[in-house]
Amino acid sequence: MLKIHNLHAKVEDKTILKGLSLEIKPGEVHAIMGPNGAGKSTLGYVLSGRDGYEVIDGQVELKGKDLLELETEERAREGLFLAFQYPVEIPGVSNMEFMKESVNAMREARGEEPLSAAEFLKKAKEACKQVHLPLDFLKRGVNEGFSGGEKKRNEIMQMILLEPSLCILDESDSGLDIDALQVVADGVNSQRSPERSFIVVTHYQRLLDYIKPDFVHILADGKIVKSGDASLALEVEKEGYAWLGGKAQEADA
Amino acid sequence: MSQWLEQVVERAEQANLTGPRLQALTALKQQRWPTRKTEAWRYTSVTPIEQLSLSSVQTIRANATDIDGLDSLDLVFIDGVLQQSLAALTLPAGLTIQPLSALSDEEQTAASLFGQIKPAHHIFGLVNDVLAEQGLIIDVAPGADITQPIRIINLSSQGQESHVRMVVRLGEQSRLCVIEQGEGQDPSLHTAFAEYQIGPHAHLEHYRLALHTAKAVQVGGNHFRLLENAELNSTLVAFGSDLSRLDVDIEHAGEHAHAKFNAIYLLGSGETFDLHSCIEHAVPNGTTEENARGIVGDRAKAVFNGRIHIHRHAQKTLAELNNRNLLLSRRGQINTKPELEIYADDVKCAHGATIAEIEEKALYYLLSRGISRSQALIMLNFGFIQELINQIPNGAIATWLQEKLKDKFSQMEVK
Ligand SMILES: Nc1ncnc2c1ncn2[C@@H]1O[C@H](COP(=O)(O)OP(=O)(O)OP(=O)(O)O)[C@@H](O)[C@H]1O
Ligand SMILES: [Mg+2]
Repeated sequence: MLKIHNLHAKVEDKTILKGLSLEIKPGEVHAIMGPNGAGKSTLGYVLSGRDGYEVIDGQVELKGKDLLELETEERAREGLFLAFQYPVEIPGVSNMEFMKESVNAMREARGEEPLSAAEFLKKAKEACKQVHLPLDFLKRGVNEGFSGGEKKRNEIMQMILLEPSLCILDESDSGLDIDALQVVADGVNSQRSPERSFIVVTHYQRLLDYIKPDFVHILADGKIVKSGDASLALEVEKEGYAWLGGKAQEADA
Repeated sequence: MSQWLEQVVERAEQANLTGPRLQALTALKQQRWPTRKTEAWRYTSVTPIEQLSLSSVQTIRANATDIDGLDSLDLVFIDGVLQQSLAALTLPAGLTIQPLSALSDEEQTAASLFGQIKPAHHIFGLVNDVLAEQGLIIDVAPGADITQPIRIINLSSQGQESHVRMVVRLGEQSRLCVIEQGEGQDPSLHTAFAEYQIGPHAHLEHYRLALHTAKAVQVGGNHFRLLENAELNSTLVAFGSDLSRLDVDIEHAGEHAHAKFNAIYLLGSGETFDLHSCIEHAVPNGTTEENARGIVGDRAKAVFNGRIHIHRHAQKTLAELNNRNLLLSRRGQINTKPELEIYADDVKCAHGATIAEIEEKALYYLLSRGISRSQALIMLNFGFIQELINQIPNGAIATWLQEKLKDKFSQMEVK
């Protein structure tokens, strides 16, 4: 599914990813944990092709394609989905219009007919219910005035509608109450399939009780410094990141 | 005086002008060629005019863009020369169209033709006064409701210079729709000024589509004079070119008149457009709503100067002026300046100007969901232009413009 090899990337002259390698097979769930400022969100931005995030070295392949050659929108159409740590508010564009445009952009890329307004509405309502958001959230401006937890659920709703092949969830659990955490986890689990892979970025082992990862990686100072199975998350929960030593501690500042 | 202006004066002197046009020549001779120190030309340089190399041999002819579904009576000028015989036109009852030459000096004076365009800020109005050889005089009889829009098309082809003048007079309680459409892209110079007198209770729907681009220089203006209870609904759409400049004056000469003026400009890379509007409330109880909105691309330059002048006796005036801009690049430039001169105390007057930039985060969010860049830009940033398109009374023009403007916008680069 995804092969990252020796990825180096910088933002405004600051090198943040410093030789990150990671391989994800179809159907796998990989959790990434790591101190604040380690570069977890940066990894998501670099993979999705955000302007200003410059790759200085390394390769990334998505389903055998050179991902770094593609524009942001093309990456999305190739099946890459990033649930944002901080979803963007766009007043003036309705959530409904936004999601319809994006679903139809994906369909067009796959050579399918666009959904009619009625067809889309039906799907959107189902997805909306699945993440326990009231239906009027479809009419509101994109994330406009949504609470932190509502924004996260809105991201999961988009993921359900867009049917991506690689989902990167950047702290989709932070700021959620216990019930919302369950909703988000259920949403993710409902999408798990042998063809779909997940990168779950989280600070808390708790989410991983709900979404069972196949692998857990520790990202510190722009690199994967340790990988293991689900038990690694429990270790982190107990011991924190002190064992990483000096360099990563700086990044923790 | 510049060389360019000198040759204009020379040509005008050979034309044996009389009456108001001779007065215009006298006034023109006293004009200074605009520099950056000339207030009305502070942000826009006239050097593209001086640097144009024009030839008298016509090479490539321009073609007018069609507006689908618009059933209009078209009058086409190519490089200032009317392509049809006015005598051969069948016109609806109440409408007359004459060539400019049909007006005698006396009539010109009586109709106060060639006098409206204010020399203080219209040096090119004077140039047009003395050089315009062709033009139209359109009259609508009192009470006549002319349903078919009249479209005046001005095409500029390579190497050509043209000066066209128009006078439109709407009689009491009449109605008319006029579309002025100008196009060209090759090196050329076009001036087009039109004066409208809207009679008591008359209604004018007006469009100025200033679609000159690239190397085609155009300078022009519209002067609207509104009598009692007259109504004006005018929409201006402009692209930019090496130099594109329009001056729009709206004069409330009769009470209870209502003017609505919307302007849209979309400037691609390196283009310039300068809009000066001046609203004069000389009498009480008039209302004016003006909205100018534009998108300015890389290294493009927009100038908007919106003046509202409310005279001492013009009580109960309601005037609103708003200018909104979207800047697509740090290298683009917008100079916007509302100018209010209010001498009456019982008036409502509002003005405002804003400049927004592309929100990188919002754009990225949409792109990350597979939405194309052009579609994302339209979703995020076309709304404020769309609002003005939605206000266009003529459905065919609105539909056509929507396509054309969206298209242009989606091809503009964001830097
Ligand atoms: N535009 C920028 N200019 C300079 N530094 C930046 C910029 N964007 C991000 N960084 C820095 O890059 C580092 C990595 O940030 P990133 O958001 O990827 O961390 P993270 O691992 O997601 O942290 P968190 O757990 O707090 O979400 C941080 O030190 C951050 O300050
Ligand atoms: Mg982060």
